[in-house]
Amino acid sequence: MYELFFQKFNEKIALTAEEEAFIKQYLTPKKLRRKQYFLQEGDVCKSICLVEKGALRAYVLDETGDEHITAFALEGWTLGDLYSFIKAEPATWNIDALEDCELVLISKQAHDELMQTMPKYETYIRMLMTDAYMALQRRTTYMISLPLEERYLAFTQMYPTLFQRVPQHMIASFMGLSAETLSRVRSRISNRK
Amino acid sequence: MSTKQTIAIIGATGNMGSAIAKSLSKTNNRLLLFARHFDKVQALVEEIKKGNASAEAEAVECPTNASWEADIIILALPYADEKEIAAKIKDVANQKILISISNPLNETYSALVTAADTSAGEQLQQLLPNSKVVKAFNTVFAADFANTIIDGKQVDTLIAGNDTQALETVSELARSIDLNPLVAGELPWSRTLENMALLLIQFTMKYNYNWVAGWKVLHN
Repeated sequence: MYELFFQKFNEKIALTAEEEAFIKQYLTPKKLRRKQYFLQEGDVCKSICLVEKGALRAYVLDETGDEHITAFALEGWTLGDLYSFIKAEPATWNIDALEDCELVLISKQAHDELMQTMPKYETYIRMLMTDAYMALQRRTTYMISLPLEERYLAFTQMYPTLFQRVPQHMIASFMGLSAETLSRVRSRISNRK
Repeated sequence: MSTKQTIAIIGATGNMGSAIAKSLSKTNNRLLLFARHFDKVQALVEEIKKGNASAEAEAVECPTNASWEADIIILALPYADEKEIAAKIKDVANQKILISISNPLNETYSALVTAADTSAGEQLQQLLPNSKVVKAFNTVFAADFANTIIDGKQVDTLIAGNDTQALETVSELARSIDLNPLVAGELPWSRTLENMALLLIQFTMKYNYNWVAGWKVLHN
């Protein structure tokens, strides 16, 4: 139920069996079926989650009701509307399940308590946030500075498993492109070879 | 917009379980219903959907799986059966809200079988130390869920628990089925709440209330 959670944790900072048992007390195991919501816009994001099994996506809706995908989470990734989670303000993101999921949730309350009582948890969160910030920096840079073909190649290198797992129209949305544009970009790249 | 919650009801075909299930099926929640006899649960789901085709209710065959999927778990079981189920759902109920509705009555409904210094609610919390046990709905009769206004007054449901957020969530749930939540305090208040259920049962039998009766705190 918590295998990947602790695997990912231990990759950042090693835990003893006692420490794992201590953290386990604070975790919420939760199953989510395909198309069910983990979070809907307007609600406060009360938990962040790690995906043990399955896949999640986060998206925002624009004025015309079109979806724009802001994030994905595959096995071992952590996801939540961070702004809403930290500030306890209504979420702007929707998060739903692309496949049947097994999740490990950390509620804000559990997070706050662990941050105060367990230095290793604080270290883990700091490293997790640093990684997320670096990924965000790269993604933003690619988005605003690279020509489309290079942007596509950079994204495939950055998220190789994602590109095999989710449909192309979602990848297009995630890259800020229409499905048609992405398709043209892909054919231009294959013609190059 | 509000994220739909998944509520597992364990013991869904009993008097209380089915009354709560029918009430909650009219709210914006998903219900996973479990009871020992699967055919009875299926019949209950059918009955719910006949009354409300858009209700999200599903019969499930495993209490552990239902609780794993759930955000909130309602144990609608007799006090004597709680221990066995608690062991089955302990791991998957970690950090979750667990509503205890039971009253530890003796066979003749004349007394509680628990000692004075404890309660069914507190015992459940000991069995599931990492869950957020909330005592609720135990002072409400099964028939009240379909008659939340009695003699012109809305029935109160008295609530006790140690986790503030869990108390808020359960109060909200009570309001969604037209009951008036009154938070008594921390979980040891379960002792009083369970005794109040016993007293209400005593009154009901003595004065022939026909099992439609409830507590109401009158105030200005």
